[in-house]
Amino acid sequence: MEKKSVSVTLNDVTKRFKNIKGKEDVIAVKGADFVVEGGELVTLLGPSGCGKTTTLRMIAGFELPTKGSIHIGEEDVTFLPPNKRDTATMFQSYGLFPHMSVHDNVAYGLKLRKVEHKEINRRVQEALDLVGLGTYGDRAPGKLSGGQQQRVALARSLIVAPAVLLLDEPLSNLDALLREQMRVEIRRIQKSLSITAVYVTHDRVEAMSLSDRVIVMKDGVIRQIGSPDLIYEEPNSRFVAGFVGKAAFLPVTVTGIQGTGYTCRLLEKDVPVATSAFQAKEGEKGVLMARPESLRVVEKGQGYIDGRVKMNVYLGNSLESFIQTPFGELLVQIDDPHSKRVFPEGEEVSIDFSPDRVRLLAESEE
Amino acid sequence: MVRKKQLLYFILAAVIFLAADLWMYSSLTSSFSRYVQERDYNEVRLFVQTAPEDEADVGEWIQGVHSVIPGSQALYFTYDENLFDFSPAQYSGNEISSILTSLENTADLKNGFDSAYYLEAVILDTSSRVTYNGALVDAQLFIAPVIDENGYEARGALLIAVPTGAASAYSNLLMTLAIGAAVAFLLISWVVSFSRDAVTGFMVLGLFIIVGIFVAYPLIEAIRLSFTQDGSFSLAKWRLALSPSYIVALWGSLRLGVSTATASTILGFLIAFLVERTSFKRKKVVSTLATMPVISPPFSLSLSIILLFGNNGLISKQLLHLNTVSIYGLGGLTLVQSISMFPIAFLTISGVLRQIDSTVEDASLDLSASRWQTFTNITFPLAVPGILSAWMLVFTNSLADFANPLLLSGNLRVLSTEAYMMVTGRMNDLGGGAVLSFLLLMPTVTAFMVQRFWVSRKSFVTVTGKPSTTLTELTNTKVRNALSVFVWAVLGFILMLYLTIVAGAFVVNWGIDYSFTLANWKAIPDSWDSIVSTLTLAAIATPLAGIIAMVGAMLIVRKKFPGKRLLEVLMMTPYAIPGTLIGIAYVIAFNRQPLLLVGTGAIIVINYVIRELPVGLENGITALHQIDPSIEEAAQDLGADVPTVFRTIVLPLVRPAFISSMSYTFVRAMTAVSAIIFLVSAKWYHLTIKILSYSENLRFGLASVLCTILIVIILGVFSLLQVLVKDNRLTQKTISSR
Ligand SMILES: Nc1ncnc2c1ncn2[C@@H]1O[C@H](COP(=O)(O)OP(=O)(O)OP(=O)(O)O)[C@@H](O)[C@H]1O
Ligand SMILES: [Mg+2]
Repeated sequence: MEKKSVSVTLNDVTKRFKNIKGKEDVIAVKGADFVVEGGELVTLLGPSGCGKTTTLRMIAGFELPTKGSIHIGEEDVTFLPPNKRDTATMFQSYGLFPHMSVHDNVAYGLKLRKVEHKEINRRVQEALDLVGLGTYGDRAPGKLSGGQQQRVALARSLIVAPAVLLLDEPLSNLDALLREQMRVEIRRIQKSLSITAVYVTHDRVEAMSLSDRVIVMKDGVIRQIGSPDLIYEEPNSRFVAGFVGKAAFLPVTVTGIQGTGYTCRLLEKDVPVATSAFQAKEGEKGVLMARPESLRVVEKGQGYIDGRVKMNVYLGNSLESFIQTPFGELLVQIDDPHSKRVFPEGEEVSIDFSPDRVRLLAESEE
Repeated sequence: MVRKKQLLYFILAAVIFLAADLWMYSSLTSSFSRYVQERDYNEVRLFVQTAPEDEADVGEWIQGVHSVIPGSQALYFTYDENLFDFSPAQYSGNEISSILTSLENTADLKNGFDSAYYLEAVILDTSSRVTYNGALVDAQLFIAPVIDENGYEARGALLIAVPTGAASAYSNLLMTLAIGAAVAFLLISWVVSFSRDAVTGFMVLGLFIIVGIFVAYPLIEAIRLSFTQDGSFSLAKWRLALSPSYIVALWGSLRLGVSTATASTILGFLIAFLVERTSFKRKKVVSTLATMPVISPPFSLSLSIILLFGNNGLISKQLLHLNTVSIYGLGGLTLVQSISMFPIAFLTISGVLRQIDSTVEDASLDLSASRWQTFTNITFPLAVPGILSAWMLVFTNSLADFANPLLLSGNLRVLSTEAYMMVTGRMNDLGGGAVLSFLLLMPTVTAFMVQRFWVSRKSFVTVTGKPSTTLTELTNTKVRNALSVFVWAVLGFILMLYLTIVAGAFVVNWGIDYSFTLANWKAIPDSWDSIVSTLTLAAIATPLAGIIAMVGAMLIVRKKFPGKRLLEVLMMTPYAIPGTLIGIAYVIAFNRQPLLLVGTGAIIVINYVIRELPVGLENGITALHQIDPSIEEAAQDLGADVPTVFRTIVLPLVRPAFISSMSYTFVRAMTAVSAIIFLVSAKWYHLTIKILSYSENLRFGLASVLCTILIVIILGVFSLLQVLVKDNRLTQKTISSR
């Protein structure tokens, strides 16, 4: 059953939906160009309607790209129909066959491959055991819970040992607890079989916790590709920074350049900044991105931005302090609050950060 | 998407194929014409050997040439030894002498005579034309020597023109084949190279071919013929159809349509209201009884009305001794049509009433409106779209109805039967019949359009929401009881009509001698062939129509392809077209080569399939819209190709729609009459038409037997198919897999 993991390559892939009846065409995906390495799990992350599903469906073969080509391994599959591709898709709505039992659902792919009857039964049992549904073979899919249906769909996809596993928001119909369990489960199975996988989600936590690399999309355009920590720590734009986590954006003007670092003017203070997403010139405007956990609340006058504590929200392992500043309300996350000083609500304070924990981004909202 | 490389391959393949096709065509025709020439050459040589020795007999001999070598003509020259030349002496027709005139002084002729002098027969290069079987055809010219008794000298020569008819017919046939092959090759290779899955491409192509040949083509031919008189364009037929004598028939149709539609809608609404909106108890029984007439054979209700209320009717004559009241005409027809068609209104209106959420009525009652006010202000207005669309449906059905007017119209003239008379009557005027049916089509299409684009749109806006769980009683006991008494009376009357038919089957001579007999049942052996062919044709058409409808629905709902809208329209077209028009159009289009189908069983099966396709297609489309497309995608993703997906996923999931459209097709095929009355033949006859001819000859006993048999068969098969709808244990009510 072990196969060599294969890569998936998209070459400048564009998808335009013709909208008949006088409506405008929709460009769902614009010039997507990336490689998913063999055995890697890559997430497509982005807001609703950004073209994630369309990208996935082109890899699966349900949609034909308007432009560009798609390779699975060495093979150009751009024009191959789905049944000729070595991919298996887990649909958001699962797409279980309602007129077949769980066993027959899982066996379907093997029957098409003309596997011998006994062998089918053995492998279906194996697959159902793998997803923890060993005793559910006779059930009708309609009579299973959402999580169980989801696992049937997973077993059905995995049993044909696809080279590429495609998952379209497979967890969106599950409750929070189950979602976490299944996330771990999917990752475990994907790693143990070392299947190449593309995972679509609009949930950043899911994307961060699951993937080797994340592809952030917006309006059909890929905005950034990178490992979860790269995307989180070194976003290339305000959009990516804001989409993958909470962040404060502080407007600044560049006043000095030192190698790769900059000096920026924030209100009346000069702030050293270690990294930037773009080549800034002196006098240019930009924003400083700061994550809540990189900010510190200090005594008034001791930090960069003065303000007043508006509200403290206690979360157990952390505390969120909302500070009213000239830039509006800023969120500071204080980890392990019992060992730190917490300023009570109403107190005048200042916000401080270290230069290597902030990042200079272009001013544009995008 | 057209890809460059594939386009190149396609063009290359097309060029190679076309070249091969052309080469084969030309080499086959030329070798065949060479063969024909050689054969004719030999025949000419044999013919000249039969020349009589006596010059005086030559004239007669020449005259006989056309029967020896079919269609040929000959001219005899004598050899003048003094002039060293041939000179014309005798000929068999004027044409050949004018051919000679045209050859005068040509090298061709001179060479021919030279050869003749040396006792050699030749084929001339010049071609010519002669009249053969009334038409001018190409002919080949030969010159052959007539040799004297010693065998040394030519005493004369023959110029013979032999028609090359066989060769040109053969060449025409070859041309048709060559073009056909080219078109087929181009279409197939276009599909193979440009559609991502060829199977879908072929399905689309197949459907286009089917509707193109059997929907568009006959209609176009019918239109063409309606504008043709004696082979040229003319408005004469339309002028005739729009003349006062036929406008009367149009008027009759419209009057009948309006009164039937109104009566049926009122009746349908009352029953639907009783069943859907009151706490009436026997809902199931009433609904079943009220839908019965849908599956009853044509003529059956007319027949029993005649038996009861006709000139010799049981009730009109025996019980009431009436002599003046006639059931024939507008009144009787309205009665019969309303009884046959109110189920349509009932089903449509109850569908709408069922969907009106009771909470809106509750709200009204809550605001202290009376029940009557609630009914008039809330319930009725919400039901109006349903009522209108029911009216339209019955109206179109009434206009298209053919069977009942045929028996009952009396002095009332309606278009459907007028069209039939025009085709089958003395005039035998197909084009005129087509024109009259087109006249019928106009109100039908108008009603159809209104129904589809106005009423149905409106009904989407007003009727939303789920079926209500509770029901608000809108009637008091008195009203409800009065309503139910009325409905039971109507249903009792309908039941009585059916029982009359059964009774009629056991009576010696209805109206005169009511004693019991089994003699009528000889109708079964007498009509055995019709029974078998009716059943056979219906049995063949049923699965075909079902499968084609489901495939069509899958393509239309799930696939993208150019011309989808056109295909859908063409497939839906027969729904709006009266059967009479389809029947006439088929006779016009398929009564000649290359599609000589009239008289075969195939044309009847095709007619069933085409006419019932729209309903099956609608069923399938509705069913598929309720199925999550990712179910099929999952199957394809796991490796199933399009036919496998259709067989293992689509068909099982749309099974209820599939089976109900098959039952529908079966019932309609068993009760067909308006279209197939033009298409039946001695070999493929239909029971309904047998019933018609028995009824027209006043042999009501035999007609009753056949009606009873039809009803029994339909009920049997219908309930069998209904049992099949009971689904397997896995499928839940919700088909979407979540
Ligand atoms: N078959 C189609 N025809 C026309 N437009 C389409 C079609 N499918 C998708 N689109 C459009 O393409 C764009 C991208 O759609 P897509 O389904 O890929 O988004 P998505 O990122 O998966 O969103 P979501 O998170 O809501 O699932 C949308 O604007 C959508 O309306
Ligand atoms: Mg999506």
